[in-house]
This record gives sequence, C-alpha cells and structure tokens, in this order.
Amino acid sequence: MRWSSFVYLFGQGLRSMFANRVMALASLGVLIVCMLITGFTGLLTVNVNSLMDWLGSQNEMVAMLDRSLSEEDYQSIGKQILGIAGVEEAEYISKADALNQMSGEMGEYAELFSELEGEENPLYAQYNIRITDPAQTAQIIEQVEGVQGVEIVHSPESLIRTFLNVQRWVQFISWGLVIVLGVVSSVVISNTIRLTVFARRREINIMKFVGATNGFIRMPFFVEGMTVGLLAGLISTGIVLGGYHIILQKAMLYFQGWEDVVQQVVLPVSELWPWVLAGFSVFGLVLGSIGTMASMRKYLDV
Amino acid sequence: MIRFEHVYKTYPEGNEALQDVNLHIDKGEFVFVLGHSGAGKSTFLKLILHEEAATSGKIIVNGFDLTNIKKKRIPYLRRSMGVVFQDFRLIPSMTVYENVAFAMRVTNVKESEIVKRVKYVLSLVGLSHKKDSYPTSLSGGEQQRVALARALAHSPKLIIADEPTGNIDPEMSIEMMELLTAINSVGTTVVVVTHEHDLAHQFNKRIITIDHGTVVGDDHPCKFAKGGRRG
Repeated sequence: MRWSSFVYLFGQGLRSMFANRVMALASLGVLIVCMLITGFTGLLTVNVNSLMDWLGSQNEMVAMLDRSLSEEDYQSIGKQILGIAGVEEAEYISKADALNQMSGEMGEYAELFSELEGEENPLYAQYNIRITDPAQTAQIIEQVEGVQGVEIVHSPESLIRTFLNVQRWVQFISWGLVIVLGVVSSVVISNTIRLTVFARRREINIMKFVGATNGFIRMPFFVEGMTVGLLAGLISTGIVLGGYHIILQKAMLYFQGWEDVVQQVVLPVSELWPWVLAGFSVFGLVLGSIGTMASMRKYLDV
Repeated sequence: MIRFEHVYKTYPEGNEALQDVNLHIDKGEFVFVLGHSGAGKSTFLKLILHEEAATSGKIIVNGFDLTNIKKKRIPYLRRSMGVVFQDFRLIPSMTVYENVAFAMRVTNVKESEIVKRVKYVLSLVGLSHKKDSYPTSLSGGEQQRVALARALAHSPKLIIADEPTGNIDPEMSIEMMELLTAINSVGTTVVVVTHEHDLAHQFNKRIITIDHGTVVGDDHPCKFAKGGRRG
C-alpha cells in the first residue's frame, strides 16, 4: 500500500468517526462504563490480595532452643534455619533478651523478674522465623523441628490456614468477576460497533462494488475502532486512578493512627498507574479493533 | 470481453433466473441488454459483477474466468469495469470529488494522478462546478452523472450501465445516452441494461433481448444505418 493511501485511509477513519460522532460517542461511553467497572473491581482485588499477603506475613513462627546449649550452638542453629528453603528471616532472641522483653511488658511488676537473671533464667533462647510463603508453613515447621537443638516450634498454623482460604476465595471471586465483566464488555462493545457498521453497510457495499479490497474497506473502520478504544482507555485510566486517589485519601482520614498499616497494605497510585494505563489502553485497542473487524465480516462477504 | 456459455442460475428458493444463456460481447461494442422486469437482467448483471455465482456454465469477463474465481481476485475483476447503478450508489458522506476519487484510490493510484483524472472526468460529465457538493444536494440526473464519472475514473475498458435512464427525466436520459455513446466512440465497451424498449431501439446498436431467463433475440446494428439515433 502506498504511504499516501495509508494516510488517506487513516484520515478517512478519523473523519468518519467525526461524521458518525453519535455512534462513536455511544461506543466510547459503553467502553468507558465497562472499563470503569472492570477497573475498580480489579483494583479492589489487588488490594484485597495485598491485605491478605500483609496479614499472612504478620504471622511468625517461633523456634524454642535447647537451654543447655551454648551461644555458639545457637548461632549455628540460626544458620541451619536460614538455610531452609522458604525461610525469609530468622531473628535471634537470647534468653536475656527474652527476659528483658517480658519484664518490659510487665510494667510495675518488672522487678519480679530481676531475680530470674543469669543462670536462673527459665526462658528459652529462640528464633522468630518469618517465611516467604504462608502456604508452606507446615513443611517448614517440620524442617525446623528437625534441626538439632530446636525443642519446640510454635506457629499460628490454623490462623494462617484461614487467611490462605480467605485469600483463595477472594482471588477466585474477584478475578472471576473481572473475567466475566471483561467478556460482558466485549459482547456489549461488539454489539455497539455492530450497530455502527450496520448503519454504514450500504457504504461498505458500494466500496465492494467499485473494487475495494476487504483490507482497504476495513482500514478506516479499524482506525476508528482503535481510536475510540484508545480514547476510552485513556479516559478510563484518568477516572479510575483519580477515583482511587480520592478513595485512598478518604481511607487515610478514616484510619487515622493506622496510616503506617494502610500505607503498607494499600497499593499507591504511583505503583499502579503504569499497569492501569497499559491494561486499559491494550484492552481498549483490542476491543475496538477486533470488535470492528468481527462486526464487519458479514458485510464484506459480497 | 464478456462471454456466457450455457449459463444457468437458480436461486436457493428455486427461482430459475437464467437458463442456458450463451452470449459474447466483444471489445468496443455498444450493446443493449433488453428485458422486462423479472426477465433476468439483474441476475445477468449480478453474475458479471460476481455478486452471485452461476449455478452452472462458464462466464468470462475481462479475462477473469468467474467459474472458479478466488475471493481475493473479485476486487480486481470489479476494478476492470465501471458500473453505473440504477440507484447511483454514491457514498453520501463523501463529496462528489471524493466519490469519484474513491474508485481510483482503491486501485492504489498516485494522489497527483487522482487529482488530474477526477478533474477530467468531472468535466466530461459537466459537473466540475459541483465537485464539493454532497450527493444528497444533487438532482437525480446529476447523481447519475457522478456515478458515470466514478465508473470512468479508473479508465476501464468496459462500462456497464444498469437502467441508466430509470431515475431521470427524458431530457436527461438522452444526454446520458449521448455521453455513453461518446465514451463508446473512443473504444470503451458499453453495455446498457434496460427494460425500456423504445430507448434501446432509438439507437442503431446491438440489442440482446432476455425473456424468462433465456436469450430470445440478438439483433446486430444495421450496417447501412448511421451510428447515431434512429429517426
């Protein structure tokens, strides 16, 4: 195809979008509504996932160590624990640290613990272990228990299992919702485009009879569909991110005193925008162009 | 140029539109295809444009064998001819200029050539002054002439006019026929499909008559008469 023909067909697409602006606006509106619903559901999903991840990461397992061992032995146990696959961090708390921590928590009764220092200290030296994937808790407990010198391992395993179940269901329902909404959007937009193409079926028919190839006829419609799709993607990105920003600000006011937690759990706009922009643009371009192509096939077959 | 050999066309609902049609139209001829409504003229036209495929028989148009023509070759078949439709089939969202230029654009012609050629064909049909008008603002006769200009735009060797006088007044009809005669005089084959018996007999041209789907007459022009209109 000549460059001049390409420029002509591209211009023709934009021109006809303006000439058929009512239908173009209808397509744009439908696409934006679909994208907004899908977008907000998607953002809710990623944030619920992030919340679940955070909650899961708050659970530590504690390995109590044999009291008869020396500090060197404890250090070597620490190395062995860190060597277990799936262990992210192992924080050593000596018997003395454990006692200090406990007496600190006792406030006015702290003095009662002063007699328990040194040899009298009944507490265990321990490792607070953080793991990368809460789903692996059971296997990791087993391995930590297998390390020589580890006496008892405490872990809120049932709590972790509950979190994992909740997370699994949230993921299942919300991604299912995103997929269903995506499919519904595709059907709605393809019907809207079908109406646009139907309104111009005579034009397509005339083009066929003067010898235009299918590619030549499709090109302006394709440009039109892609432009509407891209515009819808950009507008939706603006609305979704703007809305999300406002919701975040309101949430910060609502959870005063918990700002640190909110900041750790909720994904910020600065982290989300490239994904939302790319996702919506691609979604818009694909829906707009494929919807147009699929709707045209019937009228090209003459 | 156009060859029909034992062509049959039966529509799915059982209507036998054409039966054993045999005809041959040569380069440079001016032929009327005459028949009353329902005689099979439209089917004849649809087969030439390959809007419909023949049920059996062989059709060759401008060197394209339509018996087994591939889908992607159909646009090239249609570009090899210019068709003036009864209902003009102009694109309402395009200006007169754009409608005519469109027929050239599909053939990937340089923009500078398009500008030159469109200017020329619009002057040929006397519509240079209407180049920026939209089809809806033109009279039936003017729309007909735009359709003719579009058919001529890419210099086809074959022009087919479907009921060219059907939607215009008698005076315009004569003007249109004179234009077609002028086009034919420079070597372009012209096929006029019409139901108007008087119109066909007004000119000393070959007349192929179709009735009930069969060719019932093929009258060649009288050698002794002059090329123009009779009486």
